[in-house]
Amino acid sequence: MAVSLGYKNVYRDPKGFPDWQAAGLPVETSPVASSTAQTTTVPGPLSGWAMVWTLLGIFVGGMALNLTPCVYPLIPITVSYFGGRSDQSGSLVGHGLLYMMGLALTNSALGVGAALTGGMMGAMLQNPAVLIGISLLLVAFATSLFGFWELRLPIALTRVASKSHAGYFGTFFMGLTLGVVAAPCLGPFVLGLLTWVAGMGSAWIGFAVFFTLSLGLGLPLFVLAMFSGRIEKLPRSGEWMIWVRKLMGWVLVGMAAYFIRPLLSESAAVLTLSAVALAAGLHLGWIDKARAGFATFKYIKTAVGLLAIGVAIVLTGSWLVRGPGVGWQQYSQALLDEATATKKPVIIDFSATWCTPCRELDEKTFHDPTVVRMSEDGFVMIKVDLTRSGNAEYERLVSEYEVKGVPTVIFIDARGRERRDLRLVDYLPPDPFVQRMENLKTMNEE
Amino acid sequence: MNPRLALMLVTSLILMAVGILSAINSTAASTTPTWEDAVLEAKRGDYRLLTTAEVQKLYENRTPGLLLVDTRQEWEHRTGHIAGSVNFSMEPTAWARWTKRGELEKLLGPDKDRPVVFY
Repeated sequence: MAVSLGYKNVYRDPKGFPDWQAAGLPVETSPVASSTAQTTTVPGPLSGWAMVWTLLGIFVGGMALNLTPCVYPLIPITVSYFGGRSDQSGSLVGHGLLYMMGLALTNSALGVGAALTGGMMGAMLQNPAVLIGISLLLVAFATSLFGFWELRLPIALTRVASKSHAGYFGTFFMGLTLGVVAAPCLGPFVLGLLTWVAGMGSAWIGFAVFFTLSLGLGLPLFVLAMFSGRIEKLPRSGEWMIWVRKLMGWVLVGMAAYFIRPLLSESAAVLTLSAVALAAGLHLGWIDKARAGFATFKYIKTAVGLLAIGVAIVLTGSWLVRGPGVGWQQYSQALLDEATATKKPVIIDFSATWCTPCRELDEKTFHDPTVVRMSEDGFVMIKVDLTRSGNAEYERLVSEYEVKGVPTVIFIDARGRERRDLRLVDYLPPDPFVQRMENLKTMNEE
Repeated sequence: MNPRLALMLVTSLILMAVGILSAINSTAASTTPTWEDAVLEAKRGDYRLLTTAEVQKLYENRTPGLLLVDTRQEWEHRTGHIAGSVNFSMEPTAWARWTKRGELEKLLGPDKDRPVVFY
């Protein structure tokens, strides 16, 4: 590589450090950044670019909601409402903004509500029964979007909401109620999103998600209101809008698969997600015969189908090419005694299949090549699976080591004493984990 | 798009994805490499090999501009390295060679004639 950069005197010493050290030549070590000093800032479930991309996706989702059949008739209503208003007092832009704000307020209130109760829901989300319930709910809503049944609001409510009111307040009220009128269509998607936001457990994210969704939903309406003369250019409503509903339905099925992931074994989870993506791709791209009066629809359909199949391939592909993991052993007292006798450090991982950070720890850290290599080099790795309660020996261990929950990873040095300062109770990326292993090992040699 | 064409496309996509993913992440050899392997690799990469004794000579003669680059993992470097060497972690994969080019050039500096020893 250095050669291709233009350097002429490039050498390599393949034996490198071991030989150098063996020859007694000058060697230095950098002091280990003390393990207590590393305050690993655990980012929220969504931060940085992940947040930006998610919000962008939700924004597009909000715009796509405009294409579902129930919102579509609202577009001309909006346009005529704004068209009639332009000659009255107040600017059209002001009204348009108020309209969007009203919409955003309704939706954001829903979002924050979901997020505030999310603290409670977060705890509940560890419960397998709840996870299954949520998934079933999402699938039920998805079947509604697929057209198997219709979700409806009482007619009286719809009528009151669509009555027009005068002035700025009227516009604002229109915005507030637009969501309610469109609820039969938006409902499945928004409710799915609500459950998901509740899972994130942050009021701020709840607000951001729904505000963005509303902006996406409101923006095309706002633009249409500004240029109401061009309404006849819109594609005529038809079969293709039912197809958009089905697309939203598949998004919900994907969310359902995501929710039950902690309950399945790792390979089953990957296969389920891929199967959903594959089915969605085939259904949306080819099986569904929806047609539209405009030619681009055919290409959009094929593109969405290929994209979903691509997702399925990447999911299975990255799972297939992943290297081996840490070779865990079942706990037994004999194993621990032997480790102490042979002066080997021990790492015990208390985990359970339903716990998300445990899974992350297993998928990322315990499959990291460096961690795996180090673990084979003089460590005794023990896994204690607490998924099912009732194992007397495990319960004794839990009280002996004062394990408060899962995940808990404890580090025992060669003399059989636990290093409390290294103990882990959350996900830790591979690099700092290697540092802890190294720390445990060097302490041994002293 | 007819079904047979679609099927072929999907199959080739699957094969391509698996192939690319494994090619990017695989290391040259999974077993412990021998000196012969290193010679072959050096010929392919167009650089020269040195034994530790030769590096020692360069080192003790205080060769001007000599730069020792430790390509092992950061934690390996920390626990012990040749005095005066710098750490530049490189996994022996095509992906790392591609992404770390710019960083390496910055580390090595503008002098294209200086002796650089990787280990």
